[in-house]
Amino acid sequence: MDDLESELKRLIVSALMLEDLAPEDIGSDEALFGDAGLGLDSIDALELGVAIRKTYGIKIETVSDEVRAHFATVRALAAFIRSNGGNAP
Amino acid sequence: MKFCAVIPSHDHWKALPAIVARLRDEGLPVFIMDDGSKAEAAAAIKALHDPAQGVVVARLAVNGGKGVAVLAGFALAVEGGYSHAVQVDADGQHDLDALPRLLEAARANPAAVVSGAPVYDGTVPKGRQIGRWITHLWVFVETLSLRITDSMCGFRVYPLSPCMDLLAKERVGQRMDFDTDIIVRLFWRGVAPVMIPVKVTYPSDNTSNFHVWKDNARISWMHTKLVFHMLTHLPSVLANRPPVIGGSHWAKLGERGALWGLRFVALSYRVLGRAACAWVMAPIVAYFFATGTSQRRASRHYLARALGRQPGLVDGLRHAMSFAGRALDAFAAWTGAIGPDAMSVDDPARLAAMVADPRGALLVVSHHGNAELSHALMDPCIRRRLTVLVHTRHAENYNRLLARHRGEAAARMIQVTEIGPETAIMLRDCIERGEWVAMAGDRVPVLSAGRTVRVPFLGAEAEFSQGPWLLAGLLGCPVHLLFCRRDRPGHWRLALEPFAAKVELVRGHREAAMAELAARYARRLERECREEPWQWYNFFDFWAGGQAR
Repeated sequence: MDDLESELKRLIVSALMLEDLAPEDIGSDEALFGDAGLGLDSIDALELGVAIRKTYGIKIETVSDEVRAHFATVRALAAFIRSNGGNAP
Repeated sequence: MKFCAVIPSHDHWKALPAIVARLRDEGLPVFIMDDGSKAEAAAAIKALHDPAQGVVVARLAVNGGKGVAVLAGFALAVEGGYSHAVQVDADGQHDLDALPRLLEAARANPAAVVSGAPVYDGTVPKGRQIGRWITHLWVFVETLSLRITDSMCGFRVYPLSPCMDLLAKERVGQRMDFDTDIIVRLFWRGVAPVMIPVKVTYPSDNTSNFHVWKDNARISWMHTKLVFHMLTHLPSVLANRPPVIGGSHWAKLGERGALWGLRFVALSYRVLGRAACAWVMAPIVAYFFATGTSQRRASRHYLARALGRQPGLVDGLRHAMSFAGRALDAFAAWTGAIGPDAMSVDDPARLAAMVADPRGALLVVSHHGNAELSHALMDPCIRRRLTVLVHTRHAENYNRLLARHRGEAAARMIQVTEIGPETAIMLRDCIERGEWVAMAGDRVPVLSAGRTVRVPFLGAEAEFSQGPWLLAGLLGCPVHLLFCRRDRPGHWRLALEPFAAKVELVRGHREAAMAELAARYARRLERECREEPWQWYNFFDFWAGGQAR
């Protein structure tokens, strides 16, 4: 499996304190937000943005609809970080 | 850049053919706005219509005034794709030989308004001359600057896009007050004036449309409104000072000028006192009260609930006057005209305990009373810890200016319109440093596009923001409430109360938790509103759940 993707899964679990979930339980194409999938909400999106900023140095001013699309799945998020030249931790 | 000319005319036609010819020589397409002229003049003006030769005549059937005619011309110019419009009076008093210099200045400074500054020959009537000087002095006060050396000259080059922005938001004088009104309001929006000396002759056969009494009264009223606007919008007026064209190190100069302006206003307040300032403001407040329909309606809805009876006209005026007084008081406190003795603390021991706690905190303030004044008067050791979240970009400049005036730092202000990851990180850093972050809890639009919750307030469900509670959850720090009300003339009471030790928003129960906090805050605010109904200044209909004002 993609290294960045598994790294992101660990980040999601730790940043959002999803204690009852193991990183490998999150599917790379599983929806993170909304009722289907992981069921995260907008506050989680904000927290995730903070974690990504701190880990990869990618600036996210606001969680706009465009950013939200990048946050849809772990795979999308990994692509977003790669295309923004995120520096590995 | 694409230039055209706009000539407003009411019954002036004799000089028009020569003016039009001169403008066409400069290659300018011409819009002549016939402002409801009488039959003979109208026919003569209409005869000049010749679109093939770049001359368009448009007629306003009813005489609307110079301002209306010029603005209609601007609208045509924008429609025609022009970026700049040259305004020329129709009576031939302007020396068109100056036109190339005006156009050259406009090309060199596309964002500025280039205005003729009349140099009079012996033909000008003495009475008009004195009137002009009175206006000059007013304009110096209104702009807190000496840069508009003549605001009444109707020979100008306007950049159309800032003009259209201004006209969409503010009402500009429609008659002889137009020339001054628009240049002052553009100045406030950062549009620099460039003054070019031009010769002015009053033609001997001139029939002026200037009505001595009516127009002078109109001009006096305009100055009253402009001074009031300047005083109540001081932060944005000072923060938007346009760059000085042609001068060096303009930013520094501009700021020094603003500092002197600030000192001037502060001195006036000290010399005149609050009561005199309030009296001066009364007729203006009454005017805004009479014209600000949506605010008046919001005030009435609120007062009916807070007072428990149908409010009358006097109640509404009292509310509006109280609001104007609030702006004056905050200004006076920041400039030092109101000292720390004017505020007492409800529970000094509790405040001392809060201050002793080294942890950062979220301070939820409101539009009740005068939180801004409390920031100015509170102990400097608290103020140094304070970071105020505001939603205007002017705050920072204004603040720097106040700091220079006071010789000590004012409260730090940060402009925030929405909480995103960057803001969250920055505010967390503030809290980690032990700072107090202040934001209003009773403002709907800010930080909460679509994030509102309906909670009971003064007897019915009202729309409150989730913003402060969301922020409290993100920051994970204690939350305090701050209320500061005027309890008697010249005196205020500050109440700082603990509200929540820590806000935790557990996934799945977040909406409910934020609603609970908002409801508790609304209950506390309601108590304040019941006890002091005149001091809630939120002219926005909370109960309708409608749009922002």
